[in-house]
Amino acid sequence: MKGYLGIDVGSVSTNLVFMDENGEIREAIYLRTRGQPIFVLQEGLRQLAERLPGNIVISGVGTTGSGRYLAGIIAGADVVKNEITSHAVAASTLVPGVQTILEIGGQDSKIIILRNGVVTDFAMNTVCAAGTGSFLDQQAARLNIPIEEFGKLALKSTVPVRIAGRCAVFAESDMIHKQQMGYSLPDILAGLCEALVRNYLNNVGKGKEILPPVVFQGGVAANAGMRRAFEQALGLEVHVPPHYNVMGAVGAALLAREKMAGGGTSRFRGFGVAKTRFKAGGFECEGCPNLCEVVEITREGEVIARWGDRCGRWSNSLGYKENAV
Amino acid sequence: MTLKVGIPRALLYYYYLPLWRTFFEALGLEVVISRPTTKTILEAGLQNSGDDVCLPVRLAFGHVLDLKDRVDVLFLPRLVSIARREYICPKFLGFPDMVRHGISGLPPLIDPNFNLYRKDSPYPFFVALGRNFTGNRLAIYLAYRRAMHAQARYVQLLEKGLFPEQALAVLYRGVAEGQEPGGGGPAVAVIGHPYNIYDPYISMNLLSRLARSGVRVRSADNLPETLVREQAARLPKHLFWSLGQRMIGAAWHYLQSPDVDGIIHVASFACGPDSLTGELISREVRRRGKPFLNLTLDEHSAEAGVVTRLEAFLDMMERRQFLPAGESV
Ligand code: SF4
Ligand code: SF4
Repeated sequence: MKGYLGIDVGSVSTNLVFMDENGEIREAIYLRTRGQPIFVLQEGLRQLAERLPGNIVISGVGTTGSGRYLAGIIAGADVVKNEITSHAVAASTLVPGVQTILEIGGQDSKIIILRNGVVTDFAMNTVCAAGTGSFLDQQAARLNIPIEEFGKLALKSTVPVRIAGRCAVFAESDMIHKQQMGYSLPDILAGLCEALVRNYLNNVGKGKEILPPVVFQGGVAANAGMRRAFEQALGLEVHVPPHYNVMGAVGAALLAREKMAGGGTSRFRGFGVAKTRFKAGGFECEGCPNLCEVVEITREGEVIARWGDRCGRWSNSLGYKENAV
Repeated sequence: MTLKVGIPRALLYYYYLPLWRTFFEALGLEVVISRPTTKTILEAGLQNSGDDVCLPVRLAFGHVLDLKDRVDVLFLPRLVSIARREYICPKFLGFPDMVRHGISGLPPLIDPNFNLYRKDSPYPFFVALGRNFTGNRLAIYLAYRRAMHAQARYVQLLEKGLFPEQALAVLYRGVAEGQEPGGGGPAVAVIGHPYNIYDPYISMNLLSRLARSGVRVRSADNLPETLVREQAARLPKHLFWSLGQRMIGAAWHYLQSPDVDGIIHVASFACGPDSLTGELISREVRRRGKPFLNLTLDEHSAEAGVVTRLEAFLDMMERRQFLPAGESV
């Protein structure tokens, strides 16, 4: 069987998918990055190799996410794309005609506006926790509710409590206050969903023209309470596509297919890289007052990539470019 | 020994350096410019300024500190107004005092008022400035003429498509003007305060990143002043802020121009004027539907975030061009 590999390395999760030639997602793996992107990526590749039949041929590899360059080097990528483009490609393939993508992950959130299948506007939030999944994680932990139960419980709410606060800290103290006042748990949970939706729409969603079809993806889309809160706030139906939590990887696989459509051999290093010894190190350059923290990746002791230098002194010496831009 | 005058490479340096530098040099003084921004300069600025002001002003503190022990006097003009019946951000006016109170052990500050609100000619300003160094009125007049001439030449170079550092190299280091890099790449207009977009450290090499990906870059300063004003005049209300006018006028022009494929607005976090211009521009962009990116920079901006946004923006332009409308990606 032939197919494409899509890899999304983010700060919270590392996702891999295997897509066959017809665009069917055959395998999807979701792992926590836990600050060890190289190790977790290798683990993901190992698991994927185990699940796939032996006669597999990888015709192309795409990487995305904040660790896309790193992943591209480790796995040998044919295309390395930012997460906006990857998510947009995935959503518009799975939900043709999509005009709005709401994406909330564990550590960041974004909105992507498409018209006629092409991205026309987008925004990202990587700073404010009140607009991301970690907000719900924290509150669920406070309330001692497994995050998986969160959505189901929130749906039982009849009158969601209004939780004030634009920022996670305020929202938390207000929630504790509401709890002490005796509101029911489902109402509080639904209130938290509404607060997150409000924050999201006021932050990344600010000034964006949200038109249907609307797709909601990212890890937080698992939460049915969030989906309902979005539907109520927008007055529109909100779709949660299959593979909603690995859409970046799906997009990367689709982009790899697009890239390799013209023929050529993939740069994939093979599943054997799971056993190769990679190391990420770094040093502070004292070449000038910028004191850049240079990241250095080694394979079996040999330096294969460096980045983080503002002047290109270290990355250029390897004939390797950190970025496309 | 010649007296050394320090000029920080910050704030309106990118607009007015030839004016100041040529004037001082014509009077026989040596001009020392602070070094290009580095992490060390930025951090010194952050440590010595309050966190209630915008990043460009805090960075300018760092540039003053970079000059502090290397010059005999520091030139920090008190900029009140740079055009008739217009003002600029009050931070420029307050800057010399903020520096005086914030940094100890400074060389003498020379900070005459630069105020063209009711006047057309900056000559009185130069007379006052020149008197600090000489009693010779004729020498001051001649230096003034040379300065105005250098400034006019500088503006001409910018209008030919050069950026400030390139134009300064032509003026002061005799570098050849060079040919405008042609090529069929897309053209992007970068709209933002000069001290943000032309400072490679602060903008995270925005202009050179774009150039490296084959993009032809334009800015407000490549347009003649009259054209920018004409465009800005189309706003329902007259903007009294000179810099805001420039940015809006340029954005309006580039939005209509068929040669420009996309617009990037660069704003400083915590800058009131920028949030206003950003809002006005993004509304107009939405109406006209050109690819648009709003980049807000602050001292915490991570390079990775800027790169991701930029890549997505370039993809957005590219995919738009190559896909017929109605087809899915
Ligand atoms: S990598 Fe380049 S910019 Fe960074 S500290 Fe070293 S010499 Fe300076
Ligand atoms: S216009 Fe904005 S960035 Fe410039 S000095 Fe004023 S507040 Fe600062």
